[in-house]
Amino acid sequence: MPIVQLKDVKKTYELGKTQVHAVKGVTFDIKKGDFISLIGPSGSGKSTILNMIGCIDQPTDGIVSIAGQSTSGLNDKQLTTLRHEVLGFIFQSFNLIPVLNVYENIEFPLLLGKNRMPKREREEWIEYLVEAVELTNFIKHKPNELSGGQRQRVAIARALVTKPQIVLADEPTANLDSKTGQTIIELMKKMNAELNTTFIFSTHDSTIVGIADHIIRLLDGRIVEETHKAEYNETAGVSQ
Amino acid sequence: MVTVRIALRNIARQKKRSILLAGAIAFGMLVITVLNSFTAGMVENVRVNFSHALGGHIFISGKQLNDDGEVINQIHDEQQLSDLLLTYSDEIEGVTKRTQTIGTFIFGSKQGMQLIYGVDFQEETKLLDSLTVISGDLTKLDQENAIVIPAPLGQRLGIEAGEIILVKMETISGQQNVGEFIVAALIEDQASFGISAAYADKGYLNYLLGLMSDGYQLVNVFLKDVDRLDQVAEKFSHVLIGEPKGLEEQSAIFGIQFEAVEELAQPWEGVKYSILTLNDIMEPVEAVVTVIDAISLGIFLVLLLIIMVGITNTFRMVLIERVKEIGTMRAFGMQQNTVKAIFLLEALFLGLFGGLAGLVGASLVMVVLSFVSFSQVTGLQFFLNNGYLTFQVSVGTVCLTFAILAVMSLLAAYLPARAAARLSPIKALGSYH
Repeated sequence: MPIVQLKDVKKTYELGKTQVHAVKGVTFDIKKGDFISLIGPSGSGKSTILNMIGCIDQPTDGIVSIAGQSTSGLNDKQLTTLRHEVLGFIFQSFNLIPVLNVYENIEFPLLLGKNRMPKREREEWIEYLVEAVELTNFIKHKPNELSGGQRQRVAIARALVTKPQIVLADEPTANLDSKTGQTIIELMKKMNAELNTTFIFSTHDSTIVGIADHIIRLLDGRIVEETHKAEYNETAGVSQ
Repeated sequence: MVTVRIALRNIARQKKRSILLAGAIAFGMLVITVLNSFTAGMVENVRVNFSHALGGHIFISGKQLNDDGEVINQIHDEQQLSDLLLTYSDEIEGVTKRTQTIGTFIFGSKQGMQLIYGVDFQEETKLLDSLTVISGDLTKLDQENAIVIPAPLGQRLGIEAGEIILVKMETISGQQNVGEFIVAALIEDQASFGISAAYADKGYLNYLLGLMSDGYQLVNVFLKDVDRLDQVAEKFSHVLIGEPKGLEEQSAIFGIQFEAVEELAQPWEGVKYSILTLNDIMEPVEAVVTVIDAISLGIFLVLLLIIMVGITNTFRMVLIERVKEIGTMRAFGMQQNTVKAIFLLEALFLGLFGGLAGLVGASLVMVVLSFVSFSQVTGLQFFLNNGYLTFQVSVGTVCLTFAILAVMSLLAAYLPARAAARLSPIKALGSYH
């Protein structure tokens, strides 16, 4: 069964007196463990789709199913619980909690929700993640003492700490230089391979698209192209 | 725990803003604590000074009928009272016996009336300690006919310490008599509190009043535990008067009781007692204190209201500043109530830290003030303890103030906290669009 299913999903916003049709009937499935890239120009609906998959927005029409559960009809508390148990987020501008240090930022999602990991296990798991994102020497640093790349690595560790089935990353490399961006995507790919976590990321960056297993190209709120890795490699460079 | 951690660190994050808010709260706490402690200390000092000036905590006066059926103010050969004092000896610290009369002071062509207490100066050292001498010297009281008079009377008559004055009075049998006194000292008057008395040697006054040299009209009892005053007075009243205290109490202590027609009409046997306590006399003082406390509470509440507006505005700004953080926390699964809790905890901690700082500040102010001598300031002496201010910090009042601060801080932050909790993650994470 797909981990994410979108069936004829539409999203319309009211912008003053104007209705903006951000997503105009999108249907696709995502398999568990996939590394998916949503690509397309600004305003194509990438972020809106990520928001709906991330349960922080609801479709106007259609069905969004996450881990077999439709998000329609869930109240705020249920959506919040679903986000906590199934999803992880990586943001374009990192969104670390400024008053918490690296360790605490990573630990933070584990301290929410009812099912808490035992302390010892939690510490070992965070240490593993800190090591995996190569921040062992920065564990006590606050976000403002880190570079952009380091902050995004903290964000990746934080997104993975609850062992979510899906990690959503909205333009994770947009605020980084190309070399650092490449490293971050490679790190995400590595974690995807190690933990079998599904990664869904949106990007403009053609150089990092190629690493994805599954590419969904959007334009004006519609899917204009959906390719799997094998197909994409054959047409590399065309998608941009 | 993560909510507490974030709330505490958020306070430390905007140091200047937090210090300003906590400082305002601290100021309110300081004002209310110092004022409350001052008034509590003042009441205690007035209570102690009153008890010394009046010679006790419970004041028992007595009337007897003489052979002609006339009322005379004296307690004489009274076994019942002696037995009572013996019974309660465990509760009693000391007993003073006084005589009293109202005399007309005559100096040259001027006259003035004044209550005079006949006291044993050898026994009543506490009385001498409590008197604030304006001029003259209390050591001159070893002369048999020495008298201490309130300064206003002295000024009215134009008399100074060391001069001789005549005092006209009525003996217990109703005869007019005149005595000659030498003014040892002029003392501060407390007429505004109902205490304005001259003090003379009891033996000499008894002689002038026609009492025996060891006779007395008032028995004043010092208790070991003043908190037991009402209970003990109640028991005394039950034994001496035979009915609950209050029905028979009267103001005979501070003036001469004039003979009432009905008393003559209904003769009685033995001594007819009246009992008054320090608490009865303290009522006007406590009324003044209640007013001061109410004013200080009003000031505190106005300050707190201003501070609350400050807290509300600050947390509105905080909400705007932290929209993205709130969105992030919500995205990771923080429930609305937890977001609200972070804001409320932050306000609560701010209130409590401010309160604590205010308490420390108040303690410092009180310590400093308690070392300043006000002995030269006239009119204040009854409020002071040997010329110094004393402060009584009430744990209950401090706890209540903290509770008010906590509740007010929570109320002030509630609306911004609720708005933060209700913020939808999609709006909060504006960068997603």
